[in-house]
Parts: sequence; C-alpha cells; structure tokens
Amino acid sequence: MGIQMRLLVIEDYRPLQQSLTKGLREAGFAVDTTGDGQEGLWYAMSNDYDVIILDLMLPRLDGLSILKQLRARGRQSHVLVLTAKDTLEDRVTGLDLGADDYLVKPFEFKELLARVRALLRRSYREKNPSIKLQDLQIDLTTQRVWRGREEIQLTPREYALLEYLAMRSGQTVSRTDIWEHVYEFNSSASSNVVDVYIGYLRRKIERSGKPPLIRTVRGRGYILGAQS
Amino acid sequence: MTHSLRARLLVGIVGGMILLLTIFSLIIYTLTHRALISQLDSSLLSTARMLAASVEQDNNEIELGFEVQAMPEFQKAEHPTYCQLWRQDGTVVVRSPSLGADDLLHFEGSSAEPVFQKFKIKNGRPGRAVGFKFNPKIAENDGQNYQPQTTVQVLTLVVARDVGDLQHNLQLLRWLLLIASAGTVTLSFFVATFVVRQGLNPLNSLASEISAIKENNLTVRIVTASLPAEILPIKIRLNELLSRLECSFNRERRFTADVAHELRTPLAGLRSTIEVTLARTREADEYQAALSDCLTITENMQTMINNLLTLARIDANQMTFRCDQIRLAKLVNSSWHTFSHKALERGITFDNRIPAEMTCNSDSDSLSIVLSNLLANAAEYTNQDGQIWIEAHQANNRTEIAVANTGCRLTNDQGSHVFDRFWRGDSSRTDTGIHCGLGLALVERLVRALGGSITVELQNGGIFIIRLVLPA
Repeated sequence: MGIQMRLLVIEDYRPLQQSLTKGLREAGFAVDTTGDGQEGLWYAMSNDYDVIILDLMLPRLDGLSILKQLRARGRQSHVLVLTAKDTLEDRVTGLDLGADDYLVKPFEFKELLARVRALLRRSYREKNPSIKLQDLQIDLTTQRVWRGREEIQLTPREYALLEYLAMRSGQTVSRTDIWEHVYEFNSSASSNVVDVYIGYLRRKIERSGKPPLIRTVRGRGYILGAQS
Repeated sequence: MTHSLRARLLVGIVGGMILLLTIFSLIIYTLTHRALISQLDSSLLSTARMLAASVEQDNNEIELGFEVQAMPEFQKAEHPTYCQLWRQDGTVVVRSPSLGADDLLHFEGSSAEPVFQKFKIKNGRPGRAVGFKFNPKIAENDGQNYQPQTTVQVLTLVVARDVGDLQHNLQLLRWLLLIASAGTVTLSFFVATFVVRQGLNPLNSLASEISAIKENNLTVRIVTASLPAEILPIKIRLNELLSRLECSFNRERRFTADVAHELRTPLAGLRSTIEVTLARTREADEYQAALSDCLTITENMQTMINNLLTLARIDANQMTFRCDQIRLAKLVNSSWHTFSHKALERGITFDNRIPAEMTCNSDSDSLSIVLSNLLANAAEYTNQDGQIWIEAHQANNRTEIAVANTGCRLTNDQGSHVFDRFWRGDSSRTDTGIHCGLGLALVERLVRALGGSITVELQNGGIFIIRLVLPA
C-alpha cells in the first residue's frame, strides 16, 4: 500500500502479544502494542489506527468496554476481536458492540493476517473510494474498472489481483506476496498461477500505443503504474 | 407379580372382593342351612313326642291312641311323613302307610335323648329322621285286669320326613349366592378398572411431563397442577432434584468454559509464536528465544493440567494418602527454594518461623503441593520489598500452619472467593497462562482430603493470612 498501515495490538498474554507484534511488523505493518486495557483505550483514542486487534479479557479495562467507549466517542478504526470465548452470545455481543471481525483462540497466524488485510482493504476503500492511475480508474466500493471511458469486465480473481497491485502501486510486489496476500489466490497450489493471471490482466487493461501499466521487474515481481 | 401398578391394584381389589364374598356367602349359607335343619328337627321331634304320648300299654298289649292309617301326613303322597314303632324284641308295632312295606332305620339309643339322623328313603331321596326309646303309659282299667307282673315295655319310635324340598331350596340359595357373587366381582372389576385408571391419571401426566425434560434444558420445572397429596411430594422432590442438577450442570459448564479459556490462550500463544518464527528463515538466537518462550508456555500449561488432574482425582476420591513423619521446617524450606530467586529480585524477605524439630504426621507429597502453592501465591502477590512469613503451632493433636504475606489488595468480600476454581483477585486475569486460579482451589481440596481445614484472614495493612489446621 502506498502508505504504511498502522495497527494496535491490545493483548495481555505476553507470548501472544509478542509473537503477534513481531509477525505483524514482519508483514509490513506499523504496530503499537499494549497489555493493559486502560492504556489500550488511550492509545486507540490518541492515534488513528487502521485496525485494532483486541483481546477481550484485559487488566483494568476489558475489551468490550474499550470497544464500547471507542464507538461512543466516534472512533471508526476497524476492530478485530480475539478471544478464548467461543459461545454464540460472546460473538454476538462483540459484533453488536461494533467489532468488525472475530477470531477465536487459538488461531492460525495466516488467517489473522488475511483478516487484518481484509479489514485494511475496507479501511483503505473508505479513505480512498477510488484509485486513478493515468487513465485507469478503479472504483473500490463498486469494484468496477475503467480504462478511459471504456469499462473493463474483470473476473473476481483478476479484480482482486488488480486491487492489490493498485494499493501497492509504485512498489515492487513479488509473486509470493500476491500468492500469499490476495485471498483469491490462497487456495492455488503454486505461485505460478499469478503469472497466468498477470497475463490475463495485461490483455484486458493494456492499450497499444500507451505505456504499459504493469511492468515486470526481472527476478523480483511486478509494479503497477507507469514509469514516471 | 406384575410390575404394573394398575394391574396390582386391580388384582388386589378383585381378589379381595372374591375372598370377602366367598366368606360372606359361606356364612349366610351355613346359618340358613342350620336354621332350616333345626326348624325341621323340632317339627319332627314334636310330631314324634305327640305320637309317643299317645301310645299306651294295656297289660302286654300296645295300644295306639292315634290312627296312623287315618292321619293325612302319613299317607302316601308327594313328600309324606314316615313313622315306625318297634317293640323291644324288634317286632314292628305299627308302620305308617307312607312306608308301604319298607322299614325305617331302627335307631338304637338311650331313651332320654332323641337322635337325629340323615337317611336315604327307598327311592333314594334324602330324608331326615328322629328316633328315641320310650316307655308307653300304662292303661288304667279300674284294676280289674291289672296284672302286677306285667313289665313296662320299651318301645322305639322313628319319625322321618322327606327333605327334598329343603335340599332344593338350599341348592337354590347356593346358586343365588354364587351368581350374585360372580356378578358383583365382574362389576367390581369394571368399576375398579375405571377408578384405578382415573386414580393413576396424575401419575401419567407427571410421567409425560418428566419425559419432556431434556438434559440440555434443565430450567423447566414440573408444573402439573392439582396433583393428589400422595404424588405432590414426588413433584416437589423432583423439582428440587432438577434445581440441584441444573446448578451442577451450570457449574460444570462454567468450569469447562474456564478450562477451555485457560488452555486456549496459552495454546494461541504457542501457535502464533511457532508460526511467526517459521514464517521466514532466522538467526539461531531468534530460534533459541522462540523455543525458550514455547518451553515456558508448555511448562505453565503442564502445571495447570497437573493441577486440574489432581483436583479431578480428589473429587473422584482417587487419591491415596500415606502418613509420614514430616519435618515441617525442612519441607517449607525446600518448597520455598523454587520461588526464592524471584522473590529476592523483588526484595521480598521470607521468614520461616517454624521450629526446626517440629514434626507432623501427614502425606508428604500432598503437604508439599499445599505448601508450594501457598508460597507461590504469596510470592506472586506480595508487594515489592514486602514480607512473607510462615508459622506453626501444635496443640491438642493438631498442627496449625499460617502463611502470611504483605501487600494484599483484596477486599473481605473477595477474600471469600480465593478458593474458587479459576477465580483471581484481578478479574482481568493479567497472568493468563501463568496463574489460572487453580492453586488455592487445589490447596483447599487437598487440605480437606487430608482431614484438615483452611481459612483466610485479611488484616489491616494488607496482610493476607491463610491458616490450615491439620491432624497432627
């Protein structure tokens, strides 16, 4: 993504807190961490986080109270609730209070990442309803794509690929990144499928006589956006 | 015997009816039979006495004052009366016309007592007879023909009557009684069936209500109104049982949820530590740090599972205790050893005030678990630069041990919960995965299993004391 996304992790169990922070930082996010509820609320109120990862059982102030206060004070950060409680009432209470997603411990770290990215995309779309690269226009809310005045029909996989590249436009995005980060490619057996879809995408969005939008960086990956 | 209550009641009611009716019928029949026979007997006897009174002896001649041949009841008829009079030598004086040529049974017996007897008349019909001996009156003939040597003769008179009618009536009575009884029994069977069914209806509705209670919905109670007084206690007891079951189910559910939470959190830590570490190639020291973190988590989980298992074993009475002579002070010192390093870092002083020579008879493994948990708890919650001390007294064959620490922030109300499973003073569960609130619960159960008791005392100045009393 163009700018670095900011995350807040509020989790009091040290081993989980440390590994989450480390894993998320390594995935390219700016992460703040606290194990205290009161402190967590203060962090959340004084910064504009894209996603808050919130444990429910916390010292001093529990997760649901933090969530309630955040929403009461108009904070729109996306909240992913982590909890060891898995009864239906617990989930419903959390979602009713304004949580955006819910993950029951123990969870797969990859799944957490995928959900955080989904929330980040939502957050990105809300801040940037559309992306414009030269005469390529992507409407992130309606998921429609135009080149000039001509609308381009894309399959869900092609769109997901384009959106991911667009969010990180100007950066080199590796094949493995795409394979791992674009949910639609997660189920594929190998990252080679990415090349195939880059081919499809190129055929649909490139126009002859204009500089290519998707450029190959040999041995590293792809960049979306014309060379400036 | 059948197991159906309805069948039992029916068999009881109908059987009782049959028995009672049989007894009553027999009594009625016997009394009637006796009355009729005695009436017949007295009638026979009076006829016989009248006959006997009219017999006279004139010298050696026997004269009859009555004309048997002429009396209508002695004629041949449907059910005639019979009579026959014998002399002492067995010769017949007179015989009623109804007898024809036949003889009646010749009775032997004393003169005074008349003898009654059943007999069969010539045509096989049943009859009843009375017979007695008597002396006839001496005829008074103005003394002209009087012969003083004449001996008074002894005569035998038998009077009999056909009792066919009587037998017939009695037979009628027998049938009447039998039919009436059978009818009553049959009717009572139907009535009893109906009444029993009606009577057992509340049981049926109770049963259907009970069968509607499922193990996943114990909040329902039996509400059937208008239960008879005999069944009401069953309803009340069942509802009480349901309440107790619901309570223990809820406790169990809460316990399971707690266990799940306490296991899931460290498991999540373990998993994400491993996953994040494996996500890329790292330096050896990073792997080392991650593995060491995982080891700590695993150790904590192991402690918790051991505590849970020990608790479960105590609950199931599967613990075996062996009595040893334990040197208390020594056991306390070795238990403290584990925590001493960490406590020292936080400036906590530990004072073992138990006399070195004091001994206690108890299970050393269990007591060691108890002391370790108490000291771990104290070491964890004592304030920076605080104090922990342990004392023991013996009296009346009991040992009292008190573990005290400073820096307690619990209220009196919270103090009463310290032995609850998964309860923690800090409701936020700061130390999830490290202290899950099982230690003191385990201590309490173990002390009780060892035959002792345990209490908590909160003193001013944040002093927290746990006192255990053990049998010495």
